[in-house]
Amino acid sequence: MFSIIAKSVKIGVLTEAHPFDTQPSFGFPVIDFSRCVACDDCERACPTGAIRTARPGPARKTVTLSYAACIQCRECVDACPEKAIGASHGVEVAAYTREQLARTGSFDVDSATGRGAFVNLEVQPGPTLNESADRLRERIQGRLGRSLHVRQVDAGSCNGCEAEIAATTNPLYDLERFGVHLVASPRHADVLLVTGPVTRNMEIALRRTYEAAPDPRIVVAVGACGCSGGIFGEATYAALGGVDRVLPVDVYVPGCPPRPQAILNGLLVAMGIREARLGAVAASK
Amino acid sequence: MSVVSTVATALGVAEEVVREVRAGELALEVERSNLPALADRVFLGLEGRLLSLFASDERQATGRFVVRQVWSLPGHRTFLHVAAPIDPALPSFPSISAKYPVANWFEREVMDLFGLVPEGHPNLARVALHDDWPEGAWPLRKDFPADRIVPRVQGDFHPFRPVTGEGVFQVPVGPVHAGIIEPGHFRFGVAGEPILYLQLRLFYVHKGTEKRFERLPWRHGVFLAESISGDTSVGHALAYAHAIERLANVEPPPRARALRVVLLELERLYNHTADIGGVATDVAFSVAASRAQTLREGLLRLQDDLFGSRLMRSVVALGGLRRDVSPEGLIKLRKHLEHFGKEFDDLIRLLNDAGSFGDRVDGTGILTQQAARDLGIVGMAARASGLDMDLRRDHPHDAYEGLRFEVPVEQGGDVRARLTVRAREVAQSLSIVRQVLDAMPPLSSASFRHPMPTRLPPRASALGWAEAWRGPCTHWIATDERGEIARVKITDPSFLNWPGIVQAVPGNIIPDFPVINKSFNFSYSGNDR
Repeated sequence: MFSIIAKSVKIGVLTEAHPFDTQPSFGFPVIDFSRCVACDDCERACPTGAIRTARPGPARKTVTLSYAACIQCRECVDACPEKAIGASHGVEVAAYTREQLARTGSFDVDSATGRGAFVNLEVQPGPTLNESADRLRERIQGRLGRSLHVRQVDAGSCNGCEAEIAATTNPLYDLERFGVHLVASPRHADVLLVTGPVTRNMEIALRRTYEAAPDPRIVVAVGACGCSGGIFGEATYAALGGVDRVLPVDVYVPGCPPRPQAILNGLLVAMGIREARLGAVAASK
Repeated sequence: MSVVSTVATALGVAEEVVREVRAGELALEVERSNLPALADRVFLGLEGRLLSLFASDERQATGRFVVRQVWSLPGHRTFLHVAAPIDPALPSFPSISAKYPVANWFEREVMDLFGLVPEGHPNLARVALHDDWPEGAWPLRKDFPADRIVPRVQGDFHPFRPVTGEGVFQVPVGPVHAGIIEPGHFRFGVAGEPILYLQLRLFYVHKGTEKRFERLPWRHGVFLAESISGDTSVGHALAYAHAIERLANVEPPPRARALRVVLLELERLYNHTADIGGVATDVAFSVAASRAQTLREGLLRLQDDLFGSRLMRSVVALGGLRRDVSPEGLIKLRKHLEHFGKEFDDLIRLLNDAGSFGDRVDGTGILTQQAARDLGIVGMAARASGLDMDLRRDHPHDAYEGLRFEVPVEQGGDVRARLTVRAREVAQSLSIVRQVLDAMPPLSSASFRHPMPTRLPPRASALGWAEAWRGPCTHWIATDERGEIARVKITDPSFLNWPGIVQAVPGNIIPDFPVINKSFNFSYSGNDR
């Protein structure tokens, strides 16, 4: 007993005061559209369809990068002949809609060379981050106070997200100090923290878990699969895809898997005490 | 005598029937009616271990299905592929499950996914498909489109064994559990606290992964392999990469093979540490649990630092590695593991010194050697029940040939034995990494990735394998006439091992179930795919 106490005193407090200050070497890819020539190489390199190009007109092209499906593999970074794709270093990446996780660049295409010249960023459809934040706060109406009870539901995950959700409880992140408590039953839960891709065989259990939770039941979708089906895709015989195919999702936390800080941040966004932002994009500027 | 002739003699077949596909892989084709007799000869004559059994739909090319078995022949340092063609007009094959229970789930999965019936199977209930899936739809057949949405049907709920008697109850648990674990349904028959029996219902997280591989370019498959089981990214990425590299006849450069060993051992270290902490959590020994979690977090951060990913995703590449590690990184790795080793020893001492901990783990959840052998249990779980096997030694991959390490084996078969095997494996892993670092081939620009050809050979197949922390991960990969992927059969050790927990639980009390479960820590996602 004495040796346990002695060692604990020696180790001291490990909990990090500022978990969101860390700067990982690679967060998400960021396309510098001013250098991008819309050549499709990154689209071909991307294993999940997180990067897509489209041709809305004969001399027009768009390039869209969505963090919802990005598994942070960096194939696009290596594939880009223009070195237009770099890394972001933020850990607080979250949004309130799938659309908010995407950026679309619009290009004029030179018919002779096929090269695109960047024109502008397209306006993101749906509510802005600020509008969504207001709506969520309205829905919560301060009812959650400074405490949050969370029920985690694995609706098809590979267990990678669960590994990182579990890490948020370790002494370094210690999510309970933020008033966040993981509970055993949906009846006690303010938030469902759901990972995907939602499988056919978990769809009913997920719906029932949601029905069992009291209002305002906030849903946080975690991981590339939870946000979009990820590398498993959507609408297959076995998996429906993102959590929003089954339940209304309030907060999206992308990543494969998201870092513990990102999950923690997503929960604080769900409480309405932090606002979602694409930390990745902000950090790259 | 060559391996081919030894094996042919033991199997009682002519030598020319057994083909050496490539180093370490023998193959032979048999009539389906010969499958049971052949199984006898492989088990008894060659001491073979069945690592996988599956089907492939080759009707387009050859007009037939094929039922396939993959055996490890550790005594001969080779795998044996057995293929039995099946005429689509007679979609069945003789079962070997009654005699060899290791084939039980495999054969039923073939029935569910391909519609080929294992004749004479003692329990033809579904295993991979759930009750609301209609009859006559077999998702892994080639004429079943991956994006077909099959309407749910009102099926009879999975029949669980009834229990009767005064004070005897069934306790249903899951699929949504109380903790942060994967979904599965457990049905306990209990008399008060003691468990009479346990039945499992899995495949809640079946994601159609094997079918998904058939739609991805083979170059992208490695990313899907990393998501088969989130805590075994490296194990499955390596199994996939090995199979593709063997198909393409590409050998990764020495430095990549050395670093792959480091990756696989780091994965073993962080998972064993986490699970030891998990057992401590489940017996409410929170000081030990916190220390284990802290050690694990340290490893994950080290991995992030060295490879840019906490779970070492996107590090293994076809032909080698995506990125090299700097000399400073290797120094950091060595220092970190030195420190880790001391702290880990401290953790084990803390656990071993606590009598109350011993009360919960000694004699708890015993999987006997006989049961483990009969069920074909593999990996760490087998080694804790007295079965000596390890692909790193028996079928060396990457740079394991030439490394000095022992394969820890414990006889107890209980939670304590599994913890002891894990602790001893941690010591071996640390020694392996040290040896690799001492003899690390030097850094040079091209030394960590061998280029891959633009196309894979058409109509070819190969086995890839790796002894990951739970046990053997195997990927059997076949290409079609264009050299694209026609079939990937993934076998996670969990698929072989889940039936083991059914044997280990009876007689224990329900509060010990989480402890037993955590000591094995099987993957649901790896099992269900």
